[in-house]
Amino acid sequence: MSRPLISLLEVAERARSGPKMDVKDWDLGLFRKMEELKKRHRLDCSGDAASFNSNSDLADRAYKAAVDFLSEMGAYCISSGRAIRFTGEEVREAVRDAPSEFIVGEGRDARLIRKRVIEDRRPTNVIGGLHAPYSEDLSWIVPKNFAQVPRSDIIEGFNTTTTDGREIYGLPIEAYAGRRELAWMREGVRKAGRPGMAICYYPISTRASTLIAPMDPEYGLRRTDGILLSILPDIKVEYDLLTAAIVYQDYGAFRENGGGGASIGGFCGGPEGAVVEAIAKCIAAWMVYRDLLHNVGVSRLALGRDVAGTPCVLQTSTVHEALCRNTNLVVFGGVGTGGVGPGSEMCLREKALSAFVSTITGSNIYIPRAYRPNLDEGQTPLEVEFMVEVSDATLKSGIGRKEAGQILKKMCGRYVGKPIPPSRSIRECYDLIRHRPSREYEEIYKLVKSDLAGMGLRFD
Amino acid sequence: MSKAQHVERLRQAILSYDIEGARKAAETAVKAKVDPVEAIEKGLAVGIREVGEKFHRYEIFLPHVVLAADAMTAAMEVLEKAMPKGKAKQLRRGTIVIGTVEGDLHDVGKNVVAMMLKSAGFDVHDLGKDVKTDAFVEKAKELGADIIMASSLMTTTRPYQRELVEELDRLGLRKRFRVMVGGGPVTKEWADQIGADGWGKDATEAVKVASALLGRAR
Repeated sequence: MSRPLISLLEVAERARSGPKMDVKDWDLGLFRKMEELKKRHRLDCSGDAASFNSNSDLADRAYKAAVDFLSEMGAYCISSGRAIRFTGEEVREAVRDAPSEFIVGEGRDARLIRKRVIEDRRPTNVIGGLHAPYSEDLSWIVPKNFAQVPRSDIIEGFNTTTTDGREIYGLPIEAYAGRRELAWMREGVRKAGRPGMAICYYPISTRASTLIAPMDPEYGLRRTDGILLSILPDIKVEYDLLTAAIVYQDYGAFRENGGGGASIGGFCGGPEGAVVEAIAKCIAAWMVYRDLLHNVGVSRLALGRDVAGTPCVLQTSTVHEALCRNTNLVVFGGVGTGGVGPGSEMCLREKALSAFVSTITGSNIYIPRAYRPNLDEGQTPLEVEFMVEVSDATLKSGIGRKEAGQILKKMCGRYVGKPIPPSRSIRECYDLIRHRPSREYEEIYKLVKSDLAGMGLRFD
Repeated sequence: MSKAQHVERLRQAILSYDIEGARKAAETAVKAKVDPVEAIEKGLAVGIREVGEKFHRYEIFLPHVVLAADAMTAAMEVLEKAMPKGKAKQLRRGTIVIGTVEGDLHDVGKNVVAMMLKSAGFDVHDLGKDVKTDAFVEKAKELGADIIMASSLMTTTRPYQRELVEELDRLGLRKRFRVMVGGGPVTKEWADQIGADGWGKDATEAVKVASALLGRAR
């Protein structure tokens, strides 16, 4: 008889009673364990980053390494300074128990979200923005515009610096701002004609009260909506997020792991450690928060650069394949999408590559803001629409990983190594009233799309 | 063993992330009457700079920098005891207290900045994430820090960077500590607006700005 899936209350108890350790010991222990697992499972993910993994055995070994990691190390609770230990059986049972599909949203706006497989011919699911800061005066019109992208299944919320004209500063206003965010999102999706569309709360802050505040079946976060509750880097969890996970589990809203990625060069070490960490974080997110969606992408630790780097496609595709082949976890991908904001050719090149890679590697489409440019209001619906177009065109082209590898090289060749251009805010390159990009941005879009068509993507 | 060999042994201990080896190399150097200042400047400092360069080229990873910095600290403790009083402080590039502000759990960027500062020879005290303003101030007072660095990754936690500047003002400590701010939503304009002394768009720039701030007379 198999054991039941570990409960969130049990996780909370272990976070309180597990072995005490200094965070530095955890971080260095993580590195040592990753180095050991790399040898134990003969992992080598150091090949050409701009290529797809074609070694399924490597993906399977990376998956086993991640299970070993969770069985031997577990996760670390930064609030209690304790390790949360799991047995191998608990980890394997959790993986078996994860659902491969589920419904979000309600009424005619409900959507089925499902796991894909490598070279899957079915359309991708889409989380289409916002996950970015916007000003309060754009409160409902921005979500409306994003909700108007028909293929978007879920939209994430956004944050502001003010609410009702007051600066969001301090817990009482934070909690209120969380409620306002959901109310604006609800208004936006209603005005877009999709009142039941699933909204994923983008937390105003990570304190439990603010995380829980928008829960409101009538005006706020419904049971068919969700919340971003992410595993922290280096496989860490903390009490506020765990509290919210327990409450939302009881309430019924879905949870999304925005932290399914890993950085090469961090405490996990090199590319092999990053691959194992990313896989382990997704499994851990399911175990400790019951996250149903996982945003996964491997990148290099950002040390500061002025030119576009090579996206870590090899490592990201290895993670996607490991999860696709060995688990039911529903994966959304993002690779190399953070370098530059809207209004430039490079932005659309990056987004196209991300959509292309996700579609080929059995992932779904996740469209976050660009995070490097330190820019508010730095995402427009055009990027969402374009990524959907690229994903659909990739599927129509009927290409597999081998042909995709050649297209990937061309895609990288168009922007990698080039200086990062300035980014523009949504007000500068998008007309929110008419729901269309500025003339200049539209011209850039046409140029990039035409170029991609020339590479073999079928946009017809 | 020649003086040059002692110095080289210290450098190698840093490059091999060998904490115990660095301590022993320092003890041996002191016994052999090697000038501690030279041991630091030509041995430890050179080693840690090379570690920083390797990290920047992605040849080594964050844990290596942590271990190299620990090795440096272990050796410094020994060498400083062998120096005239006050000389040790003169040699340090500066003491920095760093953390992610209250209500914010993002720390990858902050960790990178902390490690790059360490590898550039700064004495860095990392308070972690979700750090209350009082904790920044108390630690800076306790250590006699030169710079307080506050990171924020959310627009809604940025105000705590301003709170830090205001609190230092209120306590009459504003002139005692320089304040640097950084993080995803933090811009030069924001830094200027709240009266911070410095801002770095990324980790590399943060190190440059910190160096410039400490090289500049107040």
